[in-house]
Amino acid sequence: MVRLVIEVKEPRRSIPIIGSLSGMMLVMRHLFRKPVTVQYPEEKSKLPDRFRFRIFLKLDDCVGCTLCEQVCPNGSITMQHVDRENPRNKRMIYPDVNFGTCTVCRNCEEICPTDAIYLTHVFETSRTRNSFTYSPEELAMQEDEVKK
Amino acid sequence: MNNFVELNFGPQHPSTHGVLRLRAKLDGEIVRELEPIIGYLHRNAEKLCELTFYADNLIFFDRMDYVASMLMESGYLEAAEKILNIPPPERVLWIRVIMNELSRIASHLVWAGAFGLDLGMLTPFFYCFAQRDYILDVFTEVCGSRQETNYMSVGGVYQDLTPEMIEHIDAFLQSFPKKLEEIYRLFVKNDIFISRNKGIGVLSKETAIDYGVTGPMLRASGVNYDVRKANPYLVYDKVDFDVPISQKGDNLARFLVRFEEMRQSVRIIKQAITKIPDGPFFNPKAKKSMMIRLRGDGEYYARTESPKGEFGVYIVGDGGVKPYRVRVRSPSFKNLSVLPVLAKDQMISDLISISGTIDLVFGEVDR
Amino acid sequence: MSIFSRLTSLFSPMGYPISEVLAYVVESAMLAIVASVSLAVVIYLFRKYMARVQLRIGPNRVGKFGLLQVMADGLKLAGKESIFPRKRDDLPYRIAPLMILVGLVMAFAVIPYGSLFWIGTLTVSDTSVSVLLLFAIIAIMPIGEVLAGISSKNKYALLGAMRAIAKDVSFEIPMMISVLAIVMMASARTASSLSINSIVLTELVPYGILQPLGIFVFMISMVARASYTPFDMGESDSELVTGYSTEYSGLRFGMFYMGLFGSILLGSFVISLFYLGGFNGPMQSSLGFVWLVIKAMIMVFMAFTLWLSMPRIRIDKFVNLGWKYLLPIAMINLVLSGTLTLLMGW
Repeated sequence: MVRLVIEVKEPRRSIPIIGSLSGMMLVMRHLFRKPVTVQYPEEKSKLPDRFRFRIFLKLDDCVGCTLCEQVCPNGSITMQHVDRENPRNKRMIYPDVNFGTCTVCRNCEEICPTDAIYLTHVFETSRTRNSFTYSPEELAMQEDEVKK
Repeated sequence: MNNFVELNFGPQHPSTHGVLRLRAKLDGEIVRELEPIIGYLHRNAEKLCELTFYADNLIFFDRMDYVASMLMESGYLEAAEKILNIPPPERVLWIRVIMNELSRIASHLVWAGAFGLDLGMLTPFFYCFAQRDYILDVFTEVCGSRQETNYMSVGGVYQDLTPEMIEHIDAFLQSFPKKLEEIYRLFVKNDIFISRNKGIGVLSKETAIDYGVTGPMLRASGVNYDVRKANPYLVYDKVDFDVPISQKGDNLARFLVRFEEMRQSVRIIKQAITKIPDGPFFNPKAKKSMMIRLRGDGEYYARTESPKGEFGVYIVGDGGVKPYRVRVRSPSFKNLSVLPVLAKDQMISDLISISGTIDLVFGEVDR
Repeated sequence: MSIFSRLTSLFSPMGYPISEVLAYVVESAMLAIVASVSLAVVIYLFRKYMARVQLRIGPNRVGKFGLLQVMADGLKLAGKESIFPRKRDDLPYRIAPLMILVGLVMAFAVIPYGSLFWIGTLTVSDTSVSVLLLFAIIAIMPIGEVLAGISSKNKYALLGAMRAIAKDVSFEIPMMISVLAIVMMASARTASSLSINSIVLTELVPYGILQPLGIFVFMISMVARASYTPFDMGESDSELVTGYSTEYSGLRFGMFYMGLFGSILLGSFVISLFYLGGFNGPMQSSLGFVWLVIKAMIMVFMAFTLWLSMPRIRIDKFVNLGWKYLLPIAMINLVLSGTLTLLMGW
């Protein structure tokens, strides 16, 4: 196997000051370029399809298999008892999510056998310290309906 | 001698790249003794890896070198896939090469900007980060998140690379080299930049090998060692690229080697996006539902080339669904150990610029 | 007719000594207000310029185009608690930021601003030795830096003060020698060659063209005086946190910050007066001030660009530069301009 190696060349010494001045000119030329800032609340950049943040739960589809609890690397998901009629979920346990420790790794979405737990584009979720944990019912609600 | 002033840099200090603490004994402006103190970002990642499944551990690796998380993931998977005996299909190898090299460019850009700030250059930082943001946009499109991507999975990748994404990567590669040369000129044309870096912090070949220094730092000291060439993994033996080295071993050499590596990474990605074959993007043996049932046995040490140096992962499996032991050889940690040698009898300003060229990321040093 | 004589005639019903004193008080107050407003403008311009050069937008939330951002920042700093280090040397610690600010505002009083339409000359005080007075006042500011560094009993601050002293010693002598060349050239044409006003009046060809070496030395000195990036070893923020002002917070920190921008503005005024022809230009009797401001603003933006594109020089390299390059260049400049004055009669 041929190993290709190149020696990096030190930049040629230019006349003192002239090089620095060209750097200054380069900086000054950026004055006429378009800023890259996106001013967030007013203008929102388009989110790609695969962008994921907030976890939602379809209560009717959840079978209480606890796979999401097992696969969650941080232990953000724990199973809670919810009094709810659901023939598929005999044990009446549903996941809740602590968003304080959730790293959005999407493992719960991937492993869920019934696609009951899924992630969406919603990312504007502000919470107080007491409400990091979303109960199963809250996971089923839209973000603006959740009690903060 | 008690005449030295003992000065404590950090952990809260503008140019310690996170939470490095340096205890320096100063003779006026000159550093006579230096002791790096680490551990302020220790998150117990190695132990946490023993408590979770093989497929879950990726998130802890994402958070090691958080500016190049793709490389950490592929480094872990090099070892984990051997333990689990799930070889990824051909297309995945090429996707991983593309993502690795994009991540390497992003990491080097972060380093270049932060190094400029260490020297007092305010502006290149923003140019570097603006370019890096295009890479992060690609990552968002491909993986759904900017930094802690969690894109790769055992035996494959999370989702396939679509033609539009390849187009976007190609568009970035068209515009990037010009901007890179602009940033490069902004640095090296400057007399003060040259005077601050040329001949400062010279790391000799022998010292570098003695201290286990790897990566661009080692190559800047004249040793031709790049894991991508020395022990090809993924498909690095099928792409054509050069390894930049320098015989000088000073700050400037390290700077030039890193910039040349970015250019070589562009070359690699350009080849990869044309050569990428069609096929499945995950191994059917590692289906989604298998995530918590993968059992590994035996032990394996995999080394990969991260932007900081040789990133080694050693995994011992005992036949269970969780690894028995995960050990990480982090390049920044080994590279940091040479700082007291480099900074001895240098001025404070040089101490800062030398610690800047080491390219420290504390998620990885402390793990 | 100057502002001072207008004020004196306004207060003249009160009798001779009172009207004179009142006129001085009012004029000083006006100067302080105008100086602080122009500092705010310079800070705003800097932030906007820095943002645009770095592909950002800059302040745009407080007021139209973020115009009131500087005021908001000032109010925030004023509302902050001043944290005093326990082992400080109290009196020097408290007066150090004041010395910097007072020195700066005093220096603005000495500069001749030229005249503007019906207002007449805007100069606050025009003495026959204003060159000496100006550089004496500028020399107050390093004392503030040193006091701040030593009295706050912090190792970073001490190192910063040491660097500031080394820096000041190495650039002030070349600066004074290059000013000497100006005075020498002016003395061929005017009797009161130590007055900035009469120096500028003799400056029909800008001295920057006649003394390219002189303007080079003087510009480097002014950058070092204002201590921004290529030569800000005293407060190098990536090495010594913020150098001598490390232990200051609240309004006292704001004074250091204003001192920095004030020095940039002052330096630009002084350079444009000494080397770029000052208020000379077409329609000098009514537009003199405008010419001066335009020239000064060009210098201010040059200073900003320099600040944003340069890395920091190392202190020993700067001392080397000062003694081995700037001083001989200033000497050569002195000899050259002396020869020029003798031969050409300029």
